[in-house]
Amino acid sequence: MTREPPNDDESATRDAENATRRGLLRAAAGATVAGAASTAGCLGVTTPADVAAQNEVSGNVGHFVGPSWLADNREDAVVLDARDAERFREERVYRARRVPFDAITSRESTDDGDVPDTDAIADAFGEIGVSPDDDVLVYGASVGSRVTRVAFALAAVGHEGSIRVLNGGLSAWNGRLGTGSRDRISPTDYEPDPASSAWVTREWLADRVGTFNGDGPGLVDVRVPEAYLAAAGSDALNDDHDRHGHLPGAVDVHWVGNVAGRRMTDPGRLVRLYEVEAELDRSGTVVVYGDDNVDPTSTWVTLKAIGFEDVRLYDGGFGEWANVEGDRGRYPVETATNAVVPTEGSVGGDDGGGDFSCTG
Amino acid sequence: MTGSDGQGDASSPADRVLAVPCEGDDLLALFALDTGDRLGEVPVGSHPVHATTCRGRTVVATMGERAVTAVDPSGGVTRIETGVLGPSHFAAANGELYVSCSAGDALAVVDPEALTLVDRVAVGAEPHEIAVAPGGGRLYSGSRREGVVDVVDTESHERIGAIDAGPDARVQGVAISPNGDRGYAVDQRGARVVAFETGGDAEGDAASAGPVRVEAAVGADPYDLVATGDRVFVPGRGDGIVHEFDRDLEPIAVHEGFSRPVDVFEAAGERWVLDAGAARLRSLDGAVVETPAPGLVATPVDDGRLAVSHHDDDRVSLVDVESGTVWSADSPAYPFGSVVV
Repeated sequence: MTREPPNDDESATRDAENATRRGLLRAAAGATVAGAASTAGCLGVTTPADVAAQNEVSGNVGHFVGPSWLADNREDAVVLDARDAERFREERVYRARRVPFDAITSRESTDDGDVPDTDAIADAFGEIGVSPDDDVLVYGASVGSRVTRVAFALAAVGHEGSIRVLNGGLSAWNGRLGTGSRDRISPTDYEPDPASSAWVTREWLADRVGTFNGDGPGLVDVRVPEAYLAAAGSDALNDDHDRHGHLPGAVDVHWVGNVAGRRMTDPGRLVRLYEVEAELDRSGTVVVYGDDNVDPTSTWVTLKAIGFEDVRLYDGGFGEWANVEGDRGRYPVETATNAVVPTEGSVGGDDGGGDFSCTG
Repeated sequence: MTGSDGQGDASSPADRVLAVPCEGDDLLALFALDTGDRLGEVPVGSHPVHATTCRGRTVVATMGERAVTAVDPSGGVTRIETGVLGPSHFAAANGELYVSCSAGDALAVVDPEALTLVDRVAVGAEPHEIAVAPGGGRLYSGSRREGVVDVVDTESHERIGAIDAGPDARVQGVAISPNGDRGYAVDQRGARVVAFETGGDAEGDAASAGPVRVEAAVGADPYDLVATGDRVFVPGRGDGIVHEFDRDLEPIAVHEGFSRPVDVFEAAGERWVLDAGAARLRSLDGAVVETPAPGLVATPVDDGRLAVSHHDDDRVSLVDVESGTVWSADSPAYPFGSVVV
C-alpha cells in the first residue's frame, strides 16, 4: 500500500489542529501558570482573605460574627469547638476547647416532660474551663445545628457572658491554628442559673394545643417536610416513633434553610422566610422543635439573630411527643395538613457521617 | 351521624328548617323544609361539611378549623375548640358529642350543653366515620391512615382496642348492626368490606372486640356502607355498582347500572341509591325518580322524602321518592351533609 503525500492545504490544517491540541495539553499541565496569578479572580481562585471577607456579618444581626471579630477579640473570648474529637485533633482555632457534645444535649425527665439537664450541661462547660461570665465564641465546620446547640446550651444554663457563633465555621478563620491533643485546661465550677424561658415542656405545649400559629404561640417544625407530613414509606420517618406527623398547627420550615453552605443564609432572606412566608410574629413567642434537641437550635439561634424576641426550644422534641405514654388525646398529632414553607439551604463542611446535625 | 338526636325537634313539621353546611362559602344555609324558601345563612367557619343536632343545639363540623361551631336556640353562635384540625363526622353517646378530627389522630368530645371541649380521645390517624353501638357504651372509629377500627369506651373516653382491617387498609365507612353484635368497615384502598365481632352488648368486656371475622370484595372506590338488621350495602363508586350482602357478608346481589353510587337509603319501603354521577335516585328494584342534579349527600326527612345536596351544582332539593322533586333551591357553594332542625 502506498500513501500520497498531503497537499499544502491539508498540511496547514493539520498543523493548526496540532497547535490547538498542544495548547490544551500545555494548559492542562500548568504551562501557563506564570500568567495565572494576574487572572486569579477570573479563574475563580479564592484566597483565605476572600473567604474571611465573605463570612463577615454586617447589619443588625445578633449572635453571628465574622472572623474579624474573632481576630479582634482572640485574647478575650473563650473559643469553643463544636466538632468531634477527630476533626478537633486535625486542625482547630488555636487554643480552642472542644465541647463534650453528648453532655450538652443531656435531658432530665420531669412531670412536665423532658427539659435540658442544666446541671449536666453546666458540669460539661465547667470541665472545659468555661465560667458563667466568659464571652464565648462557638465554631464548627459550618454554622450547622451542632454549633447552635452549644449556643443554646449556654443560654439554657443562664450564661452571663456573650454567646457568639463564627459565621463560616473553621474555614473562615485565617488566623493561627492548633492541632493535636487538646491543651490542658483548668476546670471551673460552673454554677447554672437555669433560664427556663429558653425552652418549653410537653405539658406547656399540651395546654396550648389548638392555638399554635393562631391565637397562641408560633410553632415551627424544623424537620424535613416528609417527616412533618408523615409521608408513607419515607426514609425520613423515624422508626423509633409510635406516631408520625406534627404537632397540631405547626408550620414546617426545614432548618437547613438557615444555612447557605458554611455560613448563615442572607439575613434578608431569613426575615422573608420566617416573617412573610411562615407568617411568624417576631414580637410574640415562637417555639421550635424537631425530632431531637439539636437541629431545632439552628432555628432557635437564627430567629433570635434576626430579632425575634421570645424564641423557645421544645427540648423533648417530637420524639417525646409521639411516644408519650398514657392519654395521647392530650398530645395529638396532625398528618393531613400541609403548611410547609419551602427552603433552599444546604449545610456545608466536612461531614463523613452524612448527618447534617453532626457537621458542626 | 348527620341527623338529629330528636331532642331539638319539637316544632311542628311546618316550622322545620333544613340546615345545610356549604363548604365553599363557609356558611350554614337555612331553608324552610316544606317550601324551600331561603331563610338565611350563618357564618360557621372554614369548610363546613356535616351538621347535627344535640341538646337543642345545631353543631357544624368545619373541616378547615380546629373547632366546631354550635348555634343555640337563641341564635348565639359558639366556636368550640377541638385542638386538632379537620372536624368531620359526628356521633352522640352518653349525652356527649364525638367528632372525628380527620387531619389528626383524635376524636374531640364536646359537651353539647356547656359547649365546651370535654376531652380528646386518641385514635388511629385520620379518623373519618364513627359509629356508636346500641346503648352508647362503645364507639367505633375508622382510621384512614392506619387501617384500623378503634374501639372507644365512651364512659372513660379511652381507646380500649383496635381492629386491624388488613394490610394497607384505608378505612372510610364504619357501621354497626342494629343489634350491636356485628361491626363493618369499608377499606377504600382495597375495595373490600370487613365484618368484625363487637364483643357482645355495649356494656360487656370491651377488650373482646374481635379481629376481622370475614371480608368480601366490593366495587371500586367504596366509601360509605349501610348495615341493616339482615343486610349490608356497599356502593362501589368507581364501578357504578352496589353490593348487597347478608350480615355475614355472603353475597346476595350486585346491583348494576349506576353511575357513581354514594349512599343507600330506605324510603317508602324500598332501598334507594343516591348517585353522584346521575340526576336521579334509583331503587334497588329499578324504580327511578329524577332529581334536579346529581346528589352527593342526602338526609332522610320522613317517610319517603330525602333532602338532597347537589354538591357540584350549588343546589339543594327535597325529593319525594313517590312523587318526585318537591322543591329545589339555589344554595351557597358546595352544599354538603344537612340536618333537619
